[in-house]
Amino acid sequence: MADRLHVEGWAPDYGSPLETDEDFTPPPGSVIDDAEVAGPWHPIDGHDDGVEVVVFVDGVRRVDAYLTVDRELGPVPGLCGSLAVGAVRWDRRVPRSTVTDVEVQRLAVFTNGLATDVPIAGPQLAYTTHAVHDPDPAVLIRHFHEQMRRAEARLAERLAAEGLFVVADGPINDLSATEKVGYIKTHRVTYLPAERAGIIARLGPGQRSPLFTIGQATSQFPKYSWYVRLAVLPNGHSWTGIVRCEASTKLGVAKAAVLANRTAALLPLVASEAHVDPRAPQNLVPISALEKEMRRYMGDPKFIHRALQAAVARSGALV
Amino acid sequence: MSGVGRVLGTEHSSTREFRVVLAEDEYLQLDDLVVVRTEVPKQGEVRTYGIVTEVEATFEGATFESDTMRIAELGILPGHKVRSAQVAVTRVDPELWVSVDPGEVVERAEGEERMKALYADEMGRPLPVGMGRDGKPVYVDLDFFDGRKGGHMSISGISGVATKTSFALFFLRLLSARPDILGEGAANLRILVFNVKGEDLLWLDKPNNQFDEEAREVWDELGVEPGPFPSVGFWAPPKPQSGDVVLPDTGGRQDGVTAFAWTPREFVDEGLLRFLFTDSSDTRNQIPFVEERVRSQLKRFAVDVAGEPGAIVLRDPVEGHRPGDTVVPNRGERVIRDLPSLVTELEGFIDPEDDEPDQRWTGRVQAGTISAFVRRLHAASHRLGHLVRAGESRRIDRQAAQVSVVAIQTLHDLGQRFVVGALLAETFAEKETTGQRLPLSVIVLDELNKYAPREGQSPLKEMLIDIAQRGRSLGVLLVGAQQTASRVAQEVMENAAIKVAGRLDAAEAERSEYGWMLPSTRARARLLKPGTMVISQPALPVPLVTQFPFPPWATRKEEVAEAGDPFAGL
Repeated sequence: MADRLHVEGWAPDYGSPLETDEDFTPPPGSVIDDAEVAGPWHPIDGHDDGVEVVVFVDGVRRVDAYLTVDRELGPVPGLCGSLAVGAVRWDRRVPRSTVTDVEVQRLAVFTNGLATDVPIAGPQLAYTTHAVHDPDPAVLIRHFHEQMRRAEARLAERLAAEGLFVVADGPINDLSATEKVGYIKTHRVTYLPAERAGIIARLGPGQRSPLFTIGQATSQFPKYSWYVRLAVLPNGHSWTGIVRCEASTKLGVAKAAVLANRTAALLPLVASEAHVDPRAPQNLVPISALEKEMRRYMGDPKFIHRALQAAVARSGALV
Repeated sequence: MSGVGRVLGTEHSSTREFRVVLAEDEYLQLDDLVVVRTEVPKQGEVRTYGIVTEVEATFEGATFESDTMRIAELGILPGHKVRSAQVAVTRVDPELWVSVDPGEVVERAEGEERMKALYADEMGRPLPVGMGRDGKPVYVDLDFFDGRKGGHMSISGISGVATKTSFALFFLRLLSARPDILGEGAANLRILVFNVKGEDLLWLDKPNNQFDEEAREVWDELGVEPGPFPSVGFWAPPKPQSGDVVLPDTGGRQDGVTAFAWTPREFVDEGLLRFLFTDSSDTRNQIPFVEERVRSQLKRFAVDVAGEPGAIVLRDPVEGHRPGDTVVPNRGERVIRDLPSLVTELEGFIDPEDDEPDQRWTGRVQAGTISAFVRRLHAASHRLGHLVRAGESRRIDRQAAQVSVVAIQTLHDLGQRFVVGALLAETFAEKETTGQRLPLSVIVLDELNKYAPREGQSPLKEMLIDIAQRGRSLGVLLVGAQQTASRVAQEVMENAAIKVAGRLDAAEAERSEYGWMLPSTRARARLLKPGTMVISQPALPVPLVTQFPFPPWATRKEEVAEAGDPFAGL
């Protein structure tokens, strides 16, 4: 196939669905591609096994204010941020989707190991302070982001432990054998070896690749992964409309294959459309609605910023 | 949460209106009454009453129209159905004009709260005039009908479906049946009703065989024993060309209907000549001038004829006769026994065949004006000549019964205007003489736009304006009905304290005459069902929608339940 130029369908603000990020680059030799099918790969049709409720879990975060502690030794940067995690329960019997389990956390993070209390800026505006020891300001966001990921993982695991089928935004990082699938919409790297990568172009909507294993030897949390095509977009390249999913290897291949078939059958149903969502089709309809809803739960950013300024000014905020 | 919902917090509430987000298991419909308690700093609790003017629902979380499918059909998009109601504030108690707080509980106004929302607690004499949408009575303050604080009622709506006349009669029945509310005005209350179309009003004294149990319950609720009008007199013009036998000119009903007419003597004494010139085009030339002159000359010239009650001869006053004299007609002298003979006799004075007009009768007007005047006289004589005849007085006795129905539907327009003009003048003159407000005299007139049109001048229009402006203090109350309020003289409309509308034509509803309606009510005015009316009254800042019950009296011959009718009530 000759190389061709394409314009990505996602709005540029969101980056590209094809982005590389070293965090996700599999170390050499960490991918095992014969977990499910040893021979030549062919697209596998999804199968809807009639699961009644599908739960989507996601989190959002927002920096409410950047802080600085003015010390003689030099300024110490910090931030106040709000994060929210929540779920959408898609009850396929009704059918109806409902936002549930939304939880908001307010965090203040400081570098240099500083644990300063931030004055309470109003009802539901009490920030819990975390101290990170690294002096690098970039670590603030990373820590904050990590807290969100953990909250997401906790909620996803709690819901999955209830016996629900959970599709969580982002990679899976635990070892439980619950029906929990990680959903990754951007592709930083091709996990497949060159001779397998051709499968992507051959996937039709509602079809998936065979399972492959990531990090069997190299990671603390080895997992099965597979690609699903949500939709065929006009003028798309072979990776448009493709998402990658993950499930714990603790499930075993057979069980993971059931989940994989399920995702291949169900996810295209909730894929977004280009005229509605700038990140179509990968940004799933329930997840984008959930994000919007959770941002609302976090409160008005301008209001919070002013409330923080006022509260700090009022308290005199001597550290 | 008790109540039906909470005050919406995403938009501003004001002293005029606010929105209610409804609880999942509650509802509000149009015209429902609600109350909100707001804690005002330094003042304590203020209760805000309001009426629902619009109800809406939407999916929260839907951004695109296609999201509706994602939410409701596919179920993949979380969306929340929210229903809300717009409320127009009717009252705050105590009178502290603050807006309601967002998030406050909104409750239905029931019992005493409902009365407060309707200002019924402040009404001097609240008369229930039908049922609100909640199935409970709504009230009209009679202080604003019988002249104490205001007077008159104006009813608008499309013919046939707006049930204007039915509502007017319903109102009058309540008025006459609730002396406990009407008070001193109830004694000797007299109602004059003109039947201008069909014979709908000729059966007011007969029970209706369609009247059912459901309607009875409503009447009971209104505190009136349902039944036909107890005291009704029916009057109709005599059949034309019926010779000496005077029969009322009605189709379906003859018994109990009395024929009415004026004698030439009454015609002259009361100056009824002016009501022969009621077309608004008549005032464009000098015809009113001639008419006035002839009218006063007639009064001077008319002399009673011995042995012929009501008949007159015209003699020059210089001959020396005095008021009350009776004379024996001379040989060849024309005795005026009806309108044609009067016209012929007048012609001798004002337009003699081979002589100059007598300027004492015509003044100095152009010959063309005189011929126009005579032409109109002839037309009138042809169309309503049978309303003037000598003999015993056959004038309408408005005191004979509480309700006098005058059936003028068979008359030509000119004749209808003549009768209406003559009777209004009579009623008004009577009250002007006494100068008293009591006893009350109510006049029901449909097609008011014919009698008091917005454009042009006529003696009838002037009279109606006079009644509208001064009738209130004289106890002459006009219940006017019309298809289109925009065609009725402004002074008449403006003076009606109580305004009522049934179904309106869509274009008509947009006119400024209906500015008293809420925009939402206006939008609905063309959907109102027969029997549903919108009422506005000075005591209430918003119009109320009311439904009035089926009448217990017959409105058609077929509906008349005969005594002992085995099918009555089936």
